[in-house]
Amino acid sequence: MQDTVLIVGSGPAGLSAAAQVTGAGRRAVLVEKEDTLGGAPILSGYAKLVPSGEWARDAIGRMVQRVEEDPGVSVHKGTRVTRLDGEAGDFTAELDNGQKVQAGAVVLATGFTHFDPVNKPEWGFGTFPDVITTTQMEQMVANGRITCPSDGRTPERVAILLCVGSRDRQIGREWCSKICCTVSTNLAMEIKELSPETEVFIYYMDIRTFGLYEDRFYWTSQEEFQTRFVKARIAEVTASGDGRLLLKGEDTLVKRPIVIPFDLVVHAVGMDPNQDNPEISRVFGVDLEKHGYLQRAEHYTNPCGTSRPGIYACGAAYGPETIDDSISQGAAAGCRAAADLQPHGRKAG
Amino acid sequence: MAIHEKSLIEPERLLHHDKLVVDGVDVSGHWNTMITPRTLTAYDEDFEARIRSIPGGENVHRCWQCGSCTNSCTMYAQNVQFNPRYWIYAVRLGLKDEIIKDRDIIWQCVSCNKCTHICPRDVRPEGVMKALGHWLEEEGYTRKSPSTIFDEAFADQVMDTGRMEDAHLIVTFFRRTGQSLFQGWLRVFGGRLMRHMPVGMGLRMGGHLLHAPRTRSWGKTRDVLRQYIQEQKQEHKQEQKEAAHG
Repeated sequence: MQDTVLIVGSGPAGLSAAAQVTGAGRRAVLVEKEDTLGGAPILSGYAKLVPSGEWARDAIGRMVQRVEEDPGVSVHKGTRVTRLDGEAGDFTAELDNGQKVQAGAVVLATGFTHFDPVNKPEWGFGTFPDVITTTQMEQMVANGRITCPSDGRTPERVAILLCVGSRDRQIGREWCSKICCTVSTNLAMEIKELSPETEVFIYYMDIRTFGLYEDRFYWTSQEEFQTRFVKARIAEVTASGDGRLLLKGEDTLVKRPIVIPFDLVVHAVGMDPNQDNPEISRVFGVDLEKHGYLQRAEHYTNPCGTSRPGIYACGAAYGPETIDDSISQGAAAGCRAAADLQPHGRKAG
Repeated sequence: MAIHEKSLIEPERLLHHDKLVVDGVDVSGHWNTMITPRTLTAYDEDFEARIRSIPGGENVHRCWQCGSCTNSCTMYAQNVQFNPRYWIYAVRLGLKDEIIKDRDIIWQCVSCNKCTHICPRDVRPEGVMKALGHWLEEEGYTRKSPSTIFDEAFADQVMDTGRMEDAHLIVTFFRRTGQSLFQGWLRVFGGRLMRHMPVGMGLRMGGHLLHAPRTRSWGKTRDVLRQYIQEQKQEHKQEQKEAAHG
């Protein structure tokens, strides 16, 4: 009987899974393709997290530290799994550093890839330096200064465009990325805190700050930080000739075209399936669902399952997910995988 | 191309030029029908704060455009041009022209407060309507109604002479509202009046029309009255200011 769980990916979900596995008295092997642990919040330099308001480097940093100091976890950074043989209870994984890992269960915490807005060229990303993504805005907030990349001036007016790479059949993204509305309202407040003279406008089709994020993020950004919400799908971002950007579209509620000058345009980029998912699907022998995320097993009795017994998943590998829920799901998947190692434990599914 | 369906375009957006030359080309006649664009090219960011500073408008920034106010509105049921949701949106984005365009409708709010009771974000739309009315008034956008003009003519005359002369008042009112003095009903009314009125009284009335009589020693009373009104206005303004900041 194996006493090891192989965890792939060290973002919030993977770090959480690893801690649960060792907490249950089992060993975890954590494989991370990047040279740094922490996943998207660390690699992309997020600022303050939703909903805790804690800096990503502190909050996720604690999770990294917990795993790094855990003698039950062996970490392989800059490493990928190239092959997985065996079956539930007795897997053998080959790593691209030549090592082999024996494991009784596998947790895929492989996360997502940020949508690349060059795929929506009409919105100016990659054409104009003052068109940036929410990820870049997070980095700006983390550095404590809001400026236009073109010339370093403080923007008088910032537009955040929602649903960039989400809810768009034209580019094959037929899902809501779930987090961007809340992240954008949070950013709007952070921008206002750092640069009170900057006016922030959010261009939306719908506002989906679900659950308890409603009043805390949407309402607060509107009521206390004077964020302006404009119902308009933007058609095009162009240059205005005076160094500013022009936002063109139709204001749905006024039923009139708009051409409004802005200093900085922020794309609220969605969550794509991890660009490595085809490889992950092939190596681990798990199915992908129609959008390209990992296919869930029947959920009611096998909540962390994939299409292959003994291989579990959690977090944004399944679809757009929040950091907090990824952590919860990672914990659940870690427990489920550890349970597979019990000689008399009931198997999943 | 000539525009055939001008009825579909708001009249204020149609520009007429009898003679027009563009880039050296004569486009007089029906070639010159031009329409001002509908495109919004600017937001007035200070407008929302201005409306919020007027009593009633404090919560306008909370609106998320659900339309509950318009949906529940007594006036909207009478007139679909009466749309509080839309005006609130216009306030939030600083689309002043949209408010000014509807200056003759906004004041029709009957303060039934259904909107205020139903609003999920506690915007208090009824208060916003009031605030908009005050703003239109303060900025001089509110057009005077005939009854206001009549009241002013009445008050002016009393202020001037200390008394009121029917004929004088009617003439002043017609002049100020640009109406003809020779209206059918007035001719009939005047004719019948002359037929039944004692001659002396008729002559006196005609004389008063030429030279308005004044109440004796009215000058002093008038000065006191004027000063009192001035003080009242000042006090009212101060109260408004305090309410807005408090």
